[in-house]
Amino acid sequence: MRALSSLLLLVAIPAALAVKSHDFKTCSQAGFCRRGRALSARAAAHPQWTSPYSVDADSLSISSDQATFTAGVKSAIYPDIKFGLEVRVHDDGVVRVKMDEVGGLRKRYDEAASWALIAEPKISKDIQWTVGTKDIRAVYGDKKDVEVVVSFEPLTVTLYRNGKEQVVLNGRGLLHLEHFRKKEDAKPEEVTSEEALESEGTQQVLKTPNLHAWFEGEEEDALWEETFSSWTDTKPKGPESLSIDITFPNHGHVYGIPQHASSLDLRTTTGESPYYTDPYRLYNADTFEYLADSTMSLYGSIPVMHAHSADSTVAVFNAVGSETWIDIAHSSVSSTETHWISESGILDVFIMPGPTPKDIFAQYTRLTGTQALPADWSLGYHQCRWNYVSSEDIRAVQKKFDEEDIPVDVFWLDIEYAEEHKYFIWDKKNFPDPVDMTNDVAASSRKMVVIIDPHFKRTSSYPVYQEAVDRGLIVKQKDGQTDYEGWCWSGSSAWVDFFNPAAWDWWKTLFKTYKLGDDKFSWTESTEDVFIWNDMNEPSIFNGPEISMPRDNIHYGGWEHRDLHNINGMLFSNLTSQAITVRGEVPKRPFVLTRAFYAGSQRFGAMWTGDNLGTWEHMAVGIKMVLANSIAGFAFTDVGGFFGNPDPEMLVRWYHVGAFSPFFRAHAHIDTKRREPYLLDEPYKGMVKDILRRRYSMLPIWYTAFREASTTGLPVARPHYVAFPKDEAGFSLDDQYFIGSSGLLVKPVTEKGAKEATVYLPPNELFYDYDSYNLYRSPATGKKITVAAELDQLPLFILGGSILPTRERPRRSSSVMRHDPITLQVALDASSSARGELYLDDGVTFNHQQGQIVWREFSAEKSGKGIKISSRDLTTQHLASAVDSVALTTYDPANAFAQSISSVRVEKIAVLGLGAKPSSVKVVGGKELEWEYSSGVSASGKKEGSSSLLVIKDPAVSVASDWEIVVQA
Amino acid sequence: MMLWLLLFFPAPIFSALDKTHGVQPAHLSKYIPAPGTPHPSWACLDGSKTIPWHAVNDDYCDCPDGSDEPGTGACPDTQFYCRNEGHIGALIPSSRVRDGLCEKECCDGSDELPGVCKNNCKTIGEEYRAKLAAERKLQKTGSKIRSTYIAFAQKEKKKLEGELQNLEREVIQRKAEVARLKDLADRAESLTEASMEQKRKSPLFQSLLTHHRALKSLQKVHREHLQREKALGDILDNLRSGYNPNYQDMAVLEAVRGWEHFAGLPHINDVKKDDEESQEDDSSPDEELPVEELEEGMWTETQLEHQLDSLLGSDYDSLLLEHDKHTETTTVDSILFDVFSYIPDFLVPQWEAARDAIFSFLSDLGLLKTGSTGKGDETGRARKALNDAEHSLKLTEDEVGKARTDLDRLFSPEWFGREGEWKKLEGLCLTKDTGDYTYEVCLFDEAKQKPNHGGSTFSLGRFAGWNDVAGVEKGSPVYYSKQQYTQGTKCWNGPARSVQLVLACGTENALLSVAELEKCEYQFTGTTPALCLPPDAGARTGHGEL
Repeated sequence: MRALSSLLLLVAIPAALAVKSHDFKTCSQAGFCRRGRALSARAAAHPQWTSPYSVDADSLSISSDQATFTAGVKSAIYPDIKFGLEVRVHDDGVVRVKMDEVGGLRKRYDEAASWALIAEPKISKDIQWTVGTKDIRAVYGDKKDVEVVVSFEPLTVTLYRNGKEQVVLNGRGLLHLEHFRKKEDAKPEEVTSEEALESEGTQQVLKTPNLHAWFEGEEEDALWEETFSSWTDTKPKGPESLSIDITFPNHGHVYGIPQHASSLDLRTTTGESPYYTDPYRLYNADTFEYLADSTMSLYGSIPVMHAHSADSTVAVFNAVGSETWIDIAHSSVSSTETHWISESGILDVFIMPGPTPKDIFAQYTRLTGTQALPADWSLGYHQCRWNYVSSEDIRAVQKKFDEEDIPVDVFWLDIEYAEEHKYFIWDKKNFPDPVDMTNDVAASSRKMVVIIDPHFKRTSSYPVYQEAVDRGLIVKQKDGQTDYEGWCWSGSSAWVDFFNPAAWDWWKTLFKTYKLGDDKFSWTESTEDVFIWNDMNEPSIFNGPEISMPRDNIHYGGWEHRDLHNINGMLFSNLTSQAITVRGEVPKRPFVLTRAFYAGSQRFGAMWTGDNLGTWEHMAVGIKMVLANSIAGFAFTDVGGFFGNPDPEMLVRWYHVGAFSPFFRAHAHIDTKRREPYLLDEPYKGMVKDILRRRYSMLPIWYTAFREASTTGLPVARPHYVAFPKDEAGFSLDDQYFIGSSGLLVKPVTEKGAKEATVYLPPNELFYDYDSYNLYRSPATGKKITVAAELDQLPLFILGGSILPTRERPRRSSSVMRHDPITLQVALDASSSARGELYLDDGVTFNHQQGQIVWREFSAEKSGKGIKISSRDLTTQHLASAVDSVALTTYDPANAFAQSISSVRVEKIAVLGLGAKPSSVKVVGGKELEWEYSSGVSASGKKEGSSSLLVIKDPAVSVASDWEIVVQA
Repeated sequence: MMLWLLLFFPAPIFSALDKTHGVQPAHLSKYIPAPGTPHPSWACLDGSKTIPWHAVNDDYCDCPDGSDEPGTGACPDTQFYCRNEGHIGALIPSSRVRDGLCEKECCDGSDELPGVCKNNCKTIGEEYRAKLAAERKLQKTGSKIRSTYIAFAQKEKKKLEGELQNLEREVIQRKAEVARLKDLADRAESLTEASMEQKRKSPLFQSLLTHHRALKSLQKVHREHLQREKALGDILDNLRSGYNPNYQDMAVLEAVRGWEHFAGLPHINDVKKDDEESQEDDSSPDEELPVEELEEGMWTETQLEHQLDSLLGSDYDSLLLEHDKHTETTTVDSILFDVFSYIPDFLVPQWEAARDAIFSFLSDLGLLKTGSTGKGDETGRARKALNDAEHSLKLTEDEVGKARTDLDRLFSPEWFGREGEWKKLEGLCLTKDTGDYTYEVCLFDEAKQKPNHGGSTFSLGRFAGWNDVAGVEKGSPVYYSKQQYTQGTKCWNGPARSVQLVLACGTENALLSVAELEKCEYQFTGTTPALCLPPDAGARTGHGEL
């Protein structure tokens, strides 16, 4: 009996390990979302629905620079309320559409874009607006193939390319800015106006008791107060929601609006038999143990959406910081209708014209910035756990890794290092020597990451809290006066308002590793080898509504929390990132991991998929989430899942997933068993060790991909539609992807007991299996292949025409690999050519922005009957786009960094798919080289199978200099 | 630009490298070239390939077994030998060769390019020798204490053997006594069995049996309920003291509050707060739960707990006989049976035969009712005597068993060691105060966590054995370096608590550190002289080779 009852208890626990859906709102539980969906339903039910908003053509004014026009906007349902429209075209063709209430009772929140944008965008210099009677339009683009048209009545904004509609704003008449009103005004008006609705002329309209009911509905719905669970939102400003429909009439696939545990190709939420019933929700929330297939909000929110077809790619960025719900429908397979419903804020939409995914990434990152080039060591393996319990524990874990010769770069400390969860303050009972501990880790060229959360324990003996109070930096309650108090790890806590500029410099001083002159707190018990993890910054508040902050809390400038909720978390990691950068004498690249994020977060660090479960479903959806997040930054998923105890099989597969994620961290909840790689039994331990070593061998490929991402915005984990935008068969693929532009294609296995995997190959390409060098060819229709995928096998392919640089010497950490020789794998395409890149710099400072870099192109091409493999500098030809943030003006190939790695050589070149055994292999200007050839399938032929392999031994050419190697047939 | 041209070919760093650089002494003889044209050649150690001699240590991995690059780290998963003159030679993994970091293990710096690492072997060697000397000293002192433990075990052995001998003698005596009494009881019973069967059919007796069974069932159910209540209370207590705000779960908070109300406990947060302020104020329940009045003659809870068992253990057959005696007055038999007491043992069989004859005779005459009522007295008495004797025998046998076990364990490698060196420490309690808790382990018994500021003590497990894992030889020093304590109090949402006690040689028995490496899985570290082998014995097991 006793045994049975304990068994029942055990069985009951997993059931409890799932998100409490009732902790989080559905659309029907949010007043403004209800109103927005009702509006959409009324419009859909009415065949002659017309938007009440129209441009007052008389008020139209074009700015002196010609790129911007402004105009008044009238609303037929509220004739007395004034709105203003501003439309401008940026020099890269992005159209920004802004609309706000003018002279209203209050001001709508209009600062979202200012936090998201990296700088004020450059205005187009060659735009010419043409004003007509019904619209104002402008044609632009290199081929004059793009046209933006703003129609007056009703107000619509349409972007055309080659006469084809790309993006339409308010095409369905769902644009609505609920104007500010007084509570007593809100009584139903007794006016009946047939005039206003003349065109409708139906019985239903005649029954309408007031001017706006046909549009806003008969009933007032939660305009002034709203209760969810036990929390009441007082909504002192009343209704102020924002609704806009955005239609892509010629694009059948939409991506983006992370973060959701869902497919990359977004699914329908409305229309005929939608996949989901609730709209995609953007409201940063600590959705612990979230569902693996849902539109529920997660930790971050990026209101950017790509719309894609084989013809073109376009995108919209809706710069709003409040809670936003997005309904998606496809009225046909080749069109998409979306409806964005936000709680507050102005309309501020950026339309990106594309026309390719590459253009979209460039346009989006010109607005919000590119991903920062990370420190090179941060691409190594990160070992985390809640919690390593003491300095001795950290030392013991490091020792175990070393004894097993398993590489690792970073050890992480979760919240338990901090005394009573007072971040920065070490629990001296268990961490008596934090600096010595960090130095012991650093002695093996490794780093530490320590968590700093945004909730500060309310106790006067905690200097960080006390200083924040003294400076008046705490977020206020709805009265705008009293410090807000909430409950989190540290018990009764306060939150610093990072919207307050007074917080910025103060926050930076906290991270100084030396004593400040003025007796104020600084983190003297840390070193420059300590980096930061910002968690719980949604913010997560245990006793708050939806485990977050009350929406009527007041931030700097008097804004309500609701206005800026989704931006809040980004400011915290932004400031931490800046603080870390400047804490020492020489600025160094920061590493800050954030859980909450917004558009622009990519500039400040990495993000992850939050507290996932150790299940196969979560492993699989994690890949999709990483791809979706990659649209707007670098992301990864916790290896092994945060909650639960994965079995060894799942863990091995998850290490594969992690090793092919932009960042690679294993993490575990405090209730789980330890699962560091060295604890596994054979054969699993050996498998994980091999996976980790493979990751390390490929670090040059990853780092080179990050350079590209940091300058072009093109994601490191690259979805198929981005790599092959014309290949319709791949538009919904989200379980296989490419690593940067390297040509590596990976398909992680996420099914239990799998023995093989199916991989899709895009048309007219050839691929080499990374391990067996087996060559596959895909016909014009593309092709699915089935390959062996036992537990120790990862389906990994090299696209024919690629050259991969790797470092094949296993090391204990990445920083000690900087002087190791390079191996090149030359995978020839059908025309016997290939190319690849390698980017190197010191990995930690900002000297790369002064041109202290080596950026090489390796190429192979036909030369007579043989081939020629050569290396040349790329920086000189691409000065402006060589590194992030700055355009170089000059480049010295013999710069100090290049000289420091002059002894780094190419130690081996493997050529795949050569037509015949060479007669000689020679460095031009040098001696004959040693080589071995094994015959096999030729890239230029028609066969599939084991490819030919030429291994050139130690050409001893430097990675930092030009050279040519001739392979003679 | 000239400089740049020089960069074209990186300097051939390793060209001058000695071919035996990094080769361990045992393999030195294998690194000799075989004559050949155009170059001398060399065969990989696994014989799989022959390569030119100049390809050895040329910083390129040629051999499948990696043997051609002992000194460069170019072949993964090979080993590099540092000579470390002035200290002791060491093998390091190839992953650390030429990685720019100076290894402690490789104090001569030979794993790195010249100029990267200083040769520290002199200092490190001295430090090492000093450390070694200190360790030997500690070991020596410790081993002296250890030898007293061994002497103790020898004494224990003698003591136990003596005890065992006495006990075994006692067992023999008691066995004889039991045999005698059993014989008597059997005879008495065989005489009365038939009549007993008849009596047992009495409705009163049957009803009594039914009551007995019902009461016994009730007691079982009651006990289960008590256990369940205790288990639930434990779960809720654990929840109350250990619930994790991570779960952000109002339902958990409700459960905690509900339990506190039910059990009359103060709110845990208040308790914690009070602890911080002043550590007095033993909070007691505010309100007593109302106590229901008992009906006249009803048993109290204490009675139920302590007396029900003995009630249920009543000898119903004896009662039956007593009952008969109570209702009838026949006492004819008593003399016949009392005679027992006066007959010498050797005459008993004869007497019994005679007695049986008399009985049948009397019965035939109808003078004596078959089943002879009053005989119960005698049977019961005989059986009681037998039971008592059997009980005493069992107790003595248990003592024998225990003494034997103790003796077996004394020199068992799985218990107190081949030399019995751990016996002395049996039951010795070591403690460590970590602020919030005091941890205690009583060796070979139980480990506990005792809160310093109120709350319940948890068992962290009972002794379950040594470091019994694959690859560790039973009775080796590594085997005795860890003790396992398992099956402690179960954690809420976690496993049963357990402890791994990691021990090292030290002059004192002491607990040094406590860490909860995983939820409810503790690691204690400590020292004990029992692990201090005499220094020369240590050398035999491969330590301290110089």
